[in-house]
Amino acid sequence: MDEAVVHISGFRMDFAGTTVVRDLSFDVRAGETFGFLGSNGSGKTTTIRALLGLYEPTAGVLHVNGRPFKPEHGSRLGYLPEERGLYKKEKVMDVMTYFGRLKGMDRHAARQWSLAYLDRVDLSGKAATQVDKLSSGEQQKVQLGVTIMNRPELLILDEPTKGFDPVNRRLLMDIIAEQKADGATVVMVTHQMEEVERLCDRIVLLKDGTSEAYGTIDEVQNRYGGRVVRIRHSGRIPASPHYAVTLDETNYAELSVSDNTDEAAILRELMDAGVVVRSFTTTKISLEDIFIRVYGEQNTPSSPVATGVGMRAGA
Amino acid sequence: MAQHNLGTVIRFEFVRTVTKPRFWIGTLSVPVIMAIVFGLIFLSNTSSSTAAEAQRNAQFSISYVDASGLITPADAAAFGATAAASSEAGIRDVRSGAVEAFYEFPAHPENTAVKVFGADKGVFENGKYAAVAQAMLARAVAMRIGSPQLSNLAAGTVQVETVTYQGSEVAGGMNSVIPPLAFLVVFYGLVVLLAGQMLNSTLEEKENRVTEMILTTLKPTTLITGKVLALFMVGVVQVAVFASPVLIGALFYRDALNIPEFEASQLVFDPARMGVGFLILVGGFALFTTTLVAIGAVMPTAKEAGNFMGVMIALIFIPFYSVSLVVSEPHSPIVQVFTYFPFSAPVTALLRNAFGSLGIFEAVVVIAILYVGAAVMLRVAVRLFQYGSISYTSKVRIRTALKAGSRHAVAGPAEQ
Ligand SMILES: Nc1ncnc2c1ncn2[C@@H]1O[C@H](COP(=O)(O)OP(=O)(O)OP(=O)(O)O)[C@@H](O)[C@H]1O
Ligand SMILES: [Mg+2]
Repeated sequence: MDEAVVHISGFRMDFAGTTVVRDLSFDVRAGETFGFLGSNGSGKTTTIRALLGLYEPTAGVLHVNGRPFKPEHGSRLGYLPEERGLYKKEKVMDVMTYFGRLKGMDRHAARQWSLAYLDRVDLSGKAATQVDKLSSGEQQKVQLGVTIMNRPELLILDEPTKGFDPVNRRLLMDIIAEQKADGATVVMVTHQMEEVERLCDRIVLLKDGTSEAYGTIDEVQNRYGGRVVRIRHSGRIPASPHYAVTLDETNYAELSVSDNTDEAAILRELMDAGVVVRSFTTTKISLEDIFIRVYGEQNTPSSPVATGVGMRAGA
Repeated sequence: MAQHNLGTVIRFEFVRTVTKPRFWIGTLSVPVIMAIVFGLIFLSNTSSSTAAEAQRNAQFSISYVDASGLITPADAAAFGATAAASSEAGIRDVRSGAVEAFYEFPAHPENTAVKVFGADKGVFENGKYAAVAQAMLARAVAMRIGSPQLSNLAAGTVQVETVTYQGSEVAGGMNSVIPPLAFLVVFYGLVVLLAGQMLNSTLEEKENRVTEMILTTLKPTTLITGKVLALFMVGVVQVAVFASPVLIGALFYRDALNIPEFEASQLVFDPARMGVGFLILVGGFALFTTTLVAIGAVMPTAKEAGNFMGVMIALIFIPFYSVSLVVSEPHSPIVQVFTYFPFSAPVTALLRNAFGSLGIFEAVVVIAILYVGAAVMLRVAVRLFQYGSISYTSKVRIRTALKAGSRHAVAGPAEQ
């Protein structure tokens, strides 16, 4: 409990009679990078806003460093909200120094830091430009800069890669990794499962207003049957008690199997059923698979929904 | 930390307002327009005051007929005027350009108009014809009376000095009304000019989606207080800019502008009235600012907020419509209502204070109402902003926001 930077237990949130989050509990430990996952509208942003005192929770305990968050505690927070925005009519440097000052830096240090940061993100010539004269990706970079000013101890990033091209997405990942190396605790909401696999120590998966899975990536993978069999084939895949067919396209299929299943037996079973198997690999189940499995069943056919989620996240 | 943040907010809000060209275009246009108007008054006064002298140097030719028999040939000669054969002949001469002006003095100039016909010289120049006609008649009458004193008295140029007593003290009269009345002028100026900015000051955070970043960095009270103080400073700058042409005009061009002689030394600065006026001004400004900021926190866009602004502005003008009642019957029920209703109180109380009809007890009550009202509205504004401004696109349900606020406030001390 003491080492938990973020502690949420029994959190419930109702909006005008609709329950968005029913009963959510999880902790984020000091120094870890934590993935906060869930489908669109599952209540991630709502949880973060309640954690930061922007919404009044209907019930539950939401603590940062052992107490409800208040800006005046001076806990060094770097928050990148989902709804991005800066003072549009002001110059980049003025906005950055303003936030730097509010976060406790002195004017000179804030300016120096901002100049160095702008240089790093290829905006060195834009310090005196009015914010709304920047492209939206450039504005995002400025906003990210504001977020990480004054070495935050806790970084909360709500869909940080939204709106970034691949190059800048890489830059952003580097910056997050640096912050982490610097000792920051990072909580990130994202729909990019590869990012989560690369960066996060632990995750929580939010579904139906409560946590569907919570733990290290390994733990979560193990919980979901652990392994996926991917086959290229022709012929019809028969139903079997030994596996579940999670994807069945004309020449490609994915079967989910439990960790202790004998793969050779499955291959034999398929061939006995007359399926021509051209390739047969088993891998650990990916987070993307888990995500689709968890949320796919809420919606009718699983694969189209999966694509939908992927597109939303990439947008 | 909070103190330092307040300073940071005030500085940011103030500097970004006064460094915008738009602010200076708006602010400077008022004195520029005033300067142009004064300039026009100056020019036209110059032309009429020098008209008589110009005429003596035969700047324009005059013919006249005189049915009154007051104008002697000597008077006419002094103005270089020649007698016309008849009115028709005189008018004909003006129309043909033979003379520039023709005056028809009636048999009874004391109750019949002198008719002046002249060649058009433009609006400003034309005034000289009438000025010269009056000067001719005045000279003729003065010559008839034969004594400059008597003719001055006959013209009604009499100086009167009035002394009234308030108890056993000499009352200041108009000279004691003007200084505290200045607070009313300043109040109107500030509210009318700054209402829009007050309303927009929190809308900006909402419309630009900066609220979440701000609210997680800064106490909302600090933000709102900082904005209110920055607005007050902006108001001071604007008042100074607007006042400058008036002051310059009053100091250097008083005669040319025909400003009545108020010797500064004659103005009576009653410390009690000045103190009360100042406190009402600051309290009223604070109440209006916090109220408008609160409205801004509820409205999703500037357009919707604009409707409410009209109501607020109307509230400060309503007492003004009944100004004569406020001045003459300060104890009538309607004036009492205006005095104590928070939003009409500043104007009503400032008027009554200037005219000396606001008792000290009433003043204390009004000031208390304004300051308590401002403090309450500040809290409301903060709550609305804190819990309402993330509903970026919809109107805040005030009840919900306030309820959340009070629950939070109750939970507050326990959490500390
Ligand atoms: N202020 C609000 N008033 C009413 N309903 C709200 C409010 N904020 C969020 N909701 C509802 O709560 C649900 C969860 O929204 P939230 O923004 O937390 O989802 P999310 O998990 O962040 O989704 P996404 O991945 O799309 O960002 C949605 O159904 C939304 O309509
Ligand atoms: Mg969200």
